[in-house]
Amino acid sequence: MSDVHVPFTDERLPNGLRLIIAEDHLAPVAAVNVWYNVGSKHEQPGKTGFAHLFEHVMFQGSANVGKAEHIALIQAAGGSMNGTTWLDRTNYFETMPSHQLELALWLEADRMGTLLAALSQENLDNQRAVVKNEKRWSYDNRPYGSWSEKIQEYLYPEGHPYHHTTIGSMEDLDAASLEDVGQFFRTWYAPNNAVLSVVGDVDPAEVRRWVDHYFGAIPANASFPQLGDLSLPPTIGGEIRETVTDNVPLPRIYWGFRSPAFGDPRLDALDLAGQILSGGKGSRLHRRLVRKERLAQDVSFFSMGFVGGASITAGWATVRPGVDLAVVEAAYWEELELLTREPVTADELQRAKALIESDELGALQRTEERADRLSMYATLFDDPDMINRMLDRYLSVTAEQIQAVAADVLRPDNRVVLTYVPKVAPPDGDAQDVPGEAGSDDKQVVA
Amino acid sequence: MTDIVVKERPTPGTPRPYQFPPFERRQLANGLNVLVVDLPGRPLLSAQLVFRSGAADEPADQAGATVLAARALSEGTKFRDAIELTENAERWGASLHAEAGWDAVTAGVAVSAARLLPALELLAEMVLEPAFPEAEVDRLRDERLNDLLQAKADPRRRAEEEFALSIYRGSPYGRPMGGTRETVAGLNRDRVEGAWARWFDPARTTLVIGGSLAGLDVHHIASTLFGAWDRHPRAVVPGDISADSAVESRFVRVVHRPGAVQTEIRIGHPGAARRIPDFHAVSVMSAILGGLFNSRMNMKLREEKGYTYGASAGFDLRRSAGPFGTRAAVNTEVTVPAVQDMLAELDRIRDGLVSRDELNAARDFLVGIFPLRFETPGAVVGALGGLVSMGLPDDELNLYRPAIEAVSAEQVLTAARAHIQPERSAIVLVGDADAFGADLEAAGLGPITIQRDDAGRTQEPGAADAAD
Repeated sequence: MSDVHVPFTDERLPNGLRLIIAEDHLAPVAAVNVWYNVGSKHEQPGKTGFAHLFEHVMFQGSANVGKAEHIALIQAAGGSMNGTTWLDRTNYFETMPSHQLELALWLEADRMGTLLAALSQENLDNQRAVVKNEKRWSYDNRPYGSWSEKIQEYLYPEGHPYHHTTIGSMEDLDAASLEDVGQFFRTWYAPNNAVLSVVGDVDPAEVRRWVDHYFGAIPANASFPQLGDLSLPPTIGGEIRETVTDNVPLPRIYWGFRSPAFGDPRLDALDLAGQILSGGKGSRLHRRLVRKERLAQDVSFFSMGFVGGASITAGWATVRPGVDLAVVEAAYWEELELLTREPVTADELQRAKALIESDELGALQRTEERADRLSMYATLFDDPDMINRMLDRYLSVTAEQIQAVAADVLRPDNRVVLTYVPKVAPPDGDAQDVPGEAGSDDKQVVA
Repeated sequence: MTDIVVKERPTPGTPRPYQFPPFERRQLANGLNVLVVDLPGRPLLSAQLVFRSGAADEPADQAGATVLAARALSEGTKFRDAIELTENAERWGASLHAEAGWDAVTAGVAVSAARLLPALELLAEMVLEPAFPEAEVDRLRDERLNDLLQAKADPRRRAEEEFALSIYRGSPYGRPMGGTRETVAGLNRDRVEGAWARWFDPARTTLVIGGSLAGLDVHHIASTLFGAWDRHPRAVVPGDISADSAVESRFVRVVHRPGAVQTEIRIGHPGAARRIPDFHAVSVMSAILGGLFNSRMNMKLREEKGYTYGASAGFDLRRSAGPFGTRAAVNTEVTVPAVQDMLAELDRIRDGLVSRDELNAARDFLVGIFPLRFETPGAVVGALGGLVSMGLPDDELNLYRPAIEAVSAEQVLTAARAHIQPERSAIVLVGDADAFGADLEAAGLGPITIQRDDAGRTQEPGAADAAD
């Protein structure tokens, strides 16, 4: 049905490392992408932010690589690299001129096998300070910066592994010790907890030889701690509201909903709903709130997929000066409700699919993106071929499926409503009907 | 434990020959240039019109008109309103877009090869026959005014605006590209149409199309859609852009944000234009100083001190001298030592030759990453558009790698001394002055002014109170 076709091979080394190779010689580029099956969901109480802090330590050297040398070698080879941590995983990736592929494989193997040989208190303290500045920069010193943390806390109950953010808390970061880092490495960083994808201008036989040479002797772990049952009731069971007073000039309303887990086809339908609600000028929320009624400065609606129990579906509207917050909230909500009552039109659905198709084709033109998706689908679903089926899944979603998932998810008893209001009188000085105006940071649960 | 990995580092293989994708240039009778670049195997095409007149070329009292006009292009044409235009494009899986920059306005579309013609028809209609409906222009203007309020609350945007304002005198680069509260408030439909008329000249416009073009007669399509286009009588050939420095000697400007947990630091001055003879030496120098992850700035402030999530330095190379700046967001307590470290690195790059290792790493990075930057049609078309907007020759991108390889340590030093002036730098700090004000005065970095932060208020910031 769709034009997506990424051929690949999928195998395992005797030590359990899963190797996926996708050959494509269009550009002289090779991408290496390692997903470790460990994310912030695996963190223990009192040790939040640890998976991410550890990701930083992975750039501080290993047995044969000095501090910050990993990045120096990659850049001097004309490559780019990074690492990211998320609730479900940690990944590390390099995009290289193809004749420099072997270097990237050697570097990934050296830290997978011998990270602790180079670990020092000085490096840990340095990266702890860097990560704390990352938290200040990304959350604490940013207008509306606390929204994602709050939504996550409300949608996942205390004790659920998704209850806390990947960045963690300052207290837990301060408490992280060398022994904690060592323990984390020994627990999670092993070939049989990783997927290595190598994509692009490569010779598969040569890749196998190199991977075997560099990774083959790294021992497997006997076992990994198992997460308990992450399943959750489909809804949060009552409305949650909070008004947050922040250093912002315009009020903003955030919505959060508990939604189906990543991989559930109903989440595909919600992605289509996101396109129809807020994907550009022709979308419903933009058309009504921004263009027609001019209530909002901007609008948004999207989902973040997670495999454990439930995903997050969220959205926001930034309120224009002088507009009553309650009016904006009501108009936004009406659009969500409409989605639950009537099927979207055939034309809306066709346009949304056409845009998603272009986006997918655009993304998959990049070697780095293909490598990331292969690792992702292998790690989360044991099914790297999803890279070739995901677009067809989107293209097969029906208007009825969108309506059905909207009715399941976009319910008053499944919503978190965060209202950010300015510390000082908002522009135009009009009296505003602020929900929960009594004080800042008041939380209430409306059953 | 270490014998489970291989100690010896691999050596690189043989580089695959690479050259920037060749393109074909033709000119229509009305002067429009058409650049076509075939990229087999890339099914999502990119098309971009580059109009060589930008936000730096607009009258100062109408600042923001060009940005607003570019945004308003997609608000409807003489034949269909915004919604119909958008929906039509979406049916082809295409998103029309238009943006203004300092030097040029670009409008384009990304679409699969089979749908190129209908998508280009819509693009042509959008840029050639815009309606600029008054009500929509007014809405976009109001949205920009609100956005200016939001910018004041965001420490990063606040720092960038204050930095540009601080380093230029009488230059368009001193104001936000989208205009200020005063100028934007005065924009209306006529001024937006006037901005559009200024760039509306086929002889100063280039259409760039790239992707898998087998079976498509792109030149024929271009001449059908754009061949009859005539220059607007009010089109203007852009003149020189002044970029004079307002920094006679070093000063410190603080935007006070009580309770801020980080300070956004910007240090610098007007830098260099894109068309300079030592462009490649500047590129290598800038990579060593603050471009690479292992640059001097980032190694010092992040990897050694842990002051920041990232520190950088670099030039914004425009038709005239865009800003040179070094940037970091640091935790409040270390504001003054961080500024001192950044100034020390600005001095050091001018004081002596960079090491052989630094030079090699920077040159190898710039040369090696070059092909990686041009994997997709959007990136190739964007690079060609950049070439055009700067008026650079067609072989510029092919000459890039040999020219970078030829840069010497002496040339890096000459470039640093020519283009970096620590003594004539503005230091802009957005953060909690109560926490670092005393240290700042004691450091004696230059005269200090402190401005109260007014995020969330409608009024412009109050009069600055001098604290020095």
